[in-house]
Amino acid sequence: MRTKREYLIRYKDGNLYCELADIWIDPSKPVKKALITHAHFDHFTFGCEEYISTKETAILLKERVGDNIKIKTFEYGEEFKINGINISFHPSGHILGSSQIRFIFAEEKWLISGDFKLQKDQTCKQYEIVKTDYLISECTFGLPIFKWDESNKIANDISKWITNSPEKTSLLFCYSLGKAQRLLNEISQTNYKGNIYSHGSIHKMNNSYRELGIDIKDTIKIENKKKIDELKGSLILLPPSLSKGSYLKNFKNIQTAFASGWMSIRALRKRSGYDKGFAISDHADWDGILEVVKKSEAKNVFFHHGDSEALSKYLVEKESINVFLFGD
Amino acid sequence: MSLKKFSELFGDLDSINSTNNKIEVLKNYFLSNDPIDNSWAIYLLTGKSNKRFISGRYLKNLFSQIYEYPQWLIDTCYLKVGDSAEVITLLLKNKTNSRKKKLSNISLNELLSKTIPALSKLDEEEKNIEIKNLWERLPEDNHLIFNKILTGTFRVGVSIGLITKSISKLINIEEEIISHRLMGDFKPSIDSYEFLINKNINLQELNSKPFPFLLANTIEDKIFKNSINDFQFEWKYDGIRMQLIKRSGNVSLWTRGQELVNESFPELVEKMSHIKDDFVLDGELLVWNFKEQIPFDFSLLQKRINRKSPHRSIQIKYPIIFISYDLLEINGKDIREFKLENRRIELEKYFSKWQIKTENNISDIFKICDLIFPKDWPDALTYKEKSRENNTEGLIIKKKTSTYASGRKKGFWWKYKVDPMQLDAVLIYAKGGSGRRAGLYTDYSFALWKDKELIKFASAYSGLTNIEIKELDKWIRKNTIEKFGPVRSLKPEMVFEISFEKIQNSKRHKSGIAVRFPRITKWRKDKKIYDADSLENAYALMKKIP
Repeated sequence: MRTKREYLIRYKDGNLYCELADIWIDPSKPVKKALITHAHFDHFTFGCEEYISTKETAILLKERVGDNIKIKTFEYGEEFKINGINISFHPSGHILGSSQIRFIFAEEKWLISGDFKLQKDQTCKQYEIVKTDYLISECTFGLPIFKWDESNKIANDISKWITNSPEKTSLLFCYSLGKAQRLLNEISQTNYKGNIYSHGSIHKMNNSYRELGIDIKDTIKIENKKKIDELKGSLILLPPSLSKGSYLKNFKNIQTAFASGWMSIRALRKRSGYDKGFAISDHADWDGILEVVKKSEAKNVFFHHGDSEALSKYLVEKESINVFLFGD
Repeated sequence: MSLKKFSELFGDLDSINSTNNKIEVLKNYFLSNDPIDNSWAIYLLTGKSNKRFISGRYLKNLFSQIYEYPQWLIDTCYLKVGDSAEVITLLLKNKTNSRKKKLSNISLNELLSKTIPALSKLDEEEKNIEIKNLWERLPEDNHLIFNKILTGTFRVGVSIGLITKSISKLINIEEEIISHRLMGDFKPSIDSYEFLINKNINLQELNSKPFPFLLANTIEDKIFKNSINDFQFEWKYDGIRMQLIKRSGNVSLWTRGQELVNESFPELVEKMSHIKDDFVLDGELLVWNFKEQIPFDFSLLQKRINRKSPHRSIQIKYPIIFISYDLLEINGKDIREFKLENRRIELEKYFSKWQIKTENNISDIFKICDLIFPKDWPDALTYKEKSRENNTEGLIIKKKTSTYASGRKKGFWWKYKVDPMQLDAVLIYAKGGSGRRAGLYTDYSFALWKDKELIKFASAYSGLTNIEIKELDKWIRKNTIEKFGPVRSLKPEMVFEISFEKIQNSKRHKSGIAVRFPRITKWRKDKKIYDADSLENAYALMKKIP
C-alpha cells in the first residue's frame, strides 16, 4: 500500500491537491492554478493566478465576482493535459455547469465527484456515470435517513403551501444559485400560477441561466417599497442570509419556508426558525452516493465534505470496498 | 375520517406558527371528521395518551432485524434525529413497496382502539410480524404518527388552550365552559366528544370536574410601580399543583395535568372526607418535613406520585401535606368571581371552622398557606432571596382584587422565582483555571443553537462540584479539537443547564445577547446536544422579562 503522500491526489492544508500537476481543486485560499467544480462560493476563492472550469461555471463565476479573473474553460468530456496528466470535466448534476473532474495518469484513473446529485433537474446536465479506480466523493448527506422525494412532489407541496394561504405572502428561502432556478423551473410546472418575485441576487442568476439556454420562468425583481397588497398570495424567493434580521420587516403577514435537504429532519426543521421546511437538495442522498460508488467501479474510495464515518463503515462492512480517511 | 387526515393535521400544526391559523386548522379538522375520530384527536393532541406499546429501542431492533440494517447505523442516525419513531420513519421510506392491500382509510378510532391495543396481546414473534405488516400496509405519510403512537412519544406544539379555543369557536360557546368540560379524565368516545360540543350548558354536568387552573406569569418590572399593599405574598412551593374537591360528599384530587390521583394519596382523601362542608380548594401537594415545618425536595414527592395505593410504611416515610391557597367553591356556590382578598377571608374562616369541628385532626395533612408581609418591594426581594432557606422556589405575588380566571391571565398572579432563567447549553470551549484551580480546565464557554450552528452565548466558572470538575477536566483533555493558547475548543457533546439573572440585547456578542451572573446549575448528562436550547429560546426569555 502506498502512503498518503504517494497518491495522485491528496489532502493538503484542507484542500484537494494534485502535486504532479501542481494544481488545486476548489481551493479555499489563493494558489497558482485552481480547478473549479462549480460556481458556489464555498468552492471558490479570490486571488488565484489561473482558474480552469467548464464554460458555464466560468460565465456564472464572472457574473458573480466580475470579469477580473483569469479563467480557462473546457467543454464536458474534453481532455486537456497538465504535466502529462489527462484531465476532463464531466457533468455532476449539482447545478448548471457543475462538474466531476477525472484525472488519468499512467493508466490510473481518479475521479473527484464534486458536489453532485442523481435526481432529475431540468436546469442542468444529468450526472454522468464515470468509471474510475479511485473515487473522491462528497458525502454531505451520508446517512440513510436522507432519501429525497421526487422534485415535482416537493414543487407540488410548495404550490399547495402558497395557495392554501392566499392572505399571506409566502417567502421561500433557498440558495440563489442553482436551487432557486431549479425550484422556479419545477414550480412553473405546478398548479401555482400566481406572481413569483425574486431577490436581486437570485434574479441575476436567473438571467444568467436564461442566457445559457436554460428555460427559467420570468420573475419580478423584488423592490423594497412594494405595496403589501400586491404581494398577498404570491411567492418570493430569497437567499437564506436574509431570513434573520430586519429585512423581513419589509413584509406583512408572511409565512416562511426553507428549501434544503436538512429539512427532512423534524428537529432541524423546528430549530431552523422557518415555519416550514421543504426537503429538496442538490446533493445526492444516501442511495445516490451508494449508487455512484458502485457504478463508478472504484476500488478505493475517499470521502470529504460531511460526516463520512457511518458511510465508510457501511461500505467496508457491506460492500467490501476500500474506504480511506483523508488527512494531510 | 382517517389516520391520513390526522397525519395531515399533525403536519400542518407542526409547521404553522401562528396561533390563529392553528385554531383555524383545528376547527376545520373537527368540522370534517366524525365524533369518534375527533375525540381521539383531542386525546392525542392534549397529551392524554402517552402509553408506550413498545419502546424506541424495540422499534429500532425490529427494523434492524427485518431490513437487515446494522444496529450501529441506526444508532448513528438516531444521534442526528433524536427520536426513535422518526428515525424509523425516515429509514422506512421506499422500503415498504409490498403488494399487500393498503390501509389507506383506516380510521383513527380503529387504529387506536383495535389495531394497536391488539398488539399487546400477541407474543413477541406475532407482534413483530404484525408491526411489519402494518408498516407495509399503512401509507408512508402515516408512518410517523403510527410509530409515535406505538412508542408513546406523540407530541405536538398544541396546548390544551388551543383545543379549547378551537372548540369554542366551532360551537360559539365561551372558552371557560369548554375548558371546564375538557378537565378531568377525557376518555375518547362519541359521547365525550358530543358532550364537549353540546350547545346546551348544564351546570350539573361539570360536577365531578375541577375548574380550569389560574396560572402565574413570570414577574415583569412594571409591577414594582404598584403599591405593595395591592398584593398578597406567598411562598412558591415546588410541589404538585392540585385542586382538592369535595362535592356531594365525594373527595377528588385533580392535578394540573388533569389526572385524578386519589389512589396515590389515600390518606389525604380519607381525612378530607370527614369535613362536613363541600368545597373546591386550590393548592399544592408536598412531602412535608414536619419537624422543621418546611417542604422536602421534589425528589421525595416523586416517590409518591406514580405509586398507587401506597403501603402504610410509604405513607409514613414520605408524609404528605396539602397546602391550600385558594377557595373556589363552597357548598355548591362558585366564588371564583370574588376578589382574592375576600376569597382569602372565606378560606381562613372555613379552615378554622374545620380545625375545630372535624373529629379527626386534619392539620397533620392539610393547612392553608401562610402569607408574607413585606414592607416594600426591596423587602419582598429579600424574602425572595431567603426562599431557598425554607426550600421554596421564590414568591407568588397575587393581586388582592383579582378574580379566579382560567389560564395564564396577565396581571393576576405573578411568580418571582429565585432562578427565573435557565437554558440548556452545549459546552464548546474550556480554559485553564487559576489559583486553586490551576492545572484544571474550569472556565467554560457555552453555546446555543442557531440553525445548525452552535453560537457562544455565555461563559461560566461556578456551579460544579470538585468531583464534577475533575471528571469534566478529564473529558476535556480527551475531546479537544484544537488548542489556542490556554483555550481548547471541544467536541460538542456535553450539555449543561445554565442559570442566570438577567438577559439583554448586546451588540458586542455574536449571539446578540448578554446574560448576567451565568452559572452552571446542572450537568445534563441525560441530554444530547440536539436537546440543547436555541438562541430563539433565549430571545423568547428576553421578551418575557423586560
